[in-house]
Amino acid sequence: MVSEDVLRTHLQELRRGTVVVASLVALRRPDYGYALLQRLTDHGFPVDANTLYPLLRRLEDQGLLTSEWNTAESRPRKFYRTSDEGESMLSRLLDDLAAVQTSITGLIQGVDR
Amino acid sequence: MNTLTDRYLAATLRSVPAQRRDEIASELRASIEDMIEGRTDGGQDATTAEREVLTELGNPDVLAARYADRRLQLIGPTYYLVWLRLLKLLLSFIPALVGTIVTIVEAAEGKGFGAIGPGLVVALQVAVQIAFWLTLTFAIIERSQTPVNLPDWTVDQLPDAPVHRGIPLADTIASVVMLVATIAYLPIQHFQSWVRGTDGENIAILDPALWSFWLPALIVVLVASVIFEIVKYRIGRWTWRLFGTKVLLNLAFSVPLVWLALSDRLLNPALGERLSWLADADNRNLLGAAIAVGTAVVVVWDLIDTAIKTRRQTA
Repeated sequence: MVSEDVLRTHLQELRRGTVVVASLVALRRPDYGYALLQRLTDHGFPVDANTLYPLLRRLEDQGLLTSEWNTAESRPRKFYRTSDEGESMLSRLLDDLAAVQTSITGLIQGVDR
Repeated sequence: MNTLTDRYLAATLRSVPAQRRDEIASELRASIEDMIEGRTDGGQDATTAEREVLTELGNPDVLAARYADRRLQLIGPTYYLVWLRLLKLLLSFIPALVGTIVTIVEAAEGKGFGAIGPGLVVALQVAVQIAFWLTLTFAIIERSQTPVNLPDWTVDQLPDAPVHRGIPLADTIASVVMLVATIAYLPIQHFQSWVRGTDGENIAILDPALWSFWLPALIVVLVASVIFEIVKYRIGRWTWRLFGTKVLLNLAFSVPLVWLALSDRLLNPALGERLSWLADADNRNLLGAAIAVGTAVVVVWDLIDTAIKTRRQTA
């Protein structure tokens, strides 16, 4: 039987990089921190708030996201959006993700045969 | 206003770089309020919701470190191994060396057996200082923005595999114990020789005048021999360089000893008062010659034995 702790660690490792990919995809439509958190969770990317909020800032510092304060609503919120740079980075990341999937599929079939 | 959220924000922002503090503050506050609202909309009361949201966000220091991209470790994996190696290297000989020097200096000043205490204290202090400053240096390097270029590992750094141990651990331990016992004997015989003077005071076996130079010098040679034994064990087999070092160490110990014995300066003249046999100059010369010959025989026999071993193990 697989230990729960070991499983959790491996899942965490597997998921770690995908949060960035998911955020860059989701923020093609501008959004603020909490709403993005909700959307990611709804789409099967559960992520901790204390991971996501600092991550958004870091991606912004790296120029992959742009931000804008929206003061029209009840409370001012910072809206993030995937920048052009972020978009080109995203396409590279998506290619790689697809390549991983292809490799795994090929490996599984190769072993099965 | 001093709500839990205010306190949480203050705790987080305390350790965030000042130039981004205000922006992080407004954004984080909005996010927290959004999260609380998300829960109260689901029918939870505001106080519980606030507590749960802040609990979910976790320790503010951890959050602040994530915002600031700060390391939550004193020395990370990049430098840890280098730090550990340097620490081991420095601690392996500097405290012992300094402690020995202090002990010898104190002994030379006539503190005798009591010189070991200050020596131990200084050795301990030196060890603590080394550990502290080395760790501090590495902690600063860890946090500096410019990466320090460490030499890359290459296969050439691989140590020799210990295929054949030419030097058994038992031999090394026996040698070290013998050397340490000899070192300890020198101060002990000065205070507890079990030879008593006429009025009951202790008479040292070796001439106390030798403490001004010769006995400390011999102790230095003995300490060097202990280090030699350990190095030899780490190397694992005899080499001609080790053999050469051993020759030098043996001569550094035996030549002064033989010379002192032959010139009748080794034994305490006061012994003659107690042991009448030693009062006679001829007898003293005989004993000195016996010590000199005995020492020479042991040294020569040891060197021949070592030379044979070295030849066998380097072949």
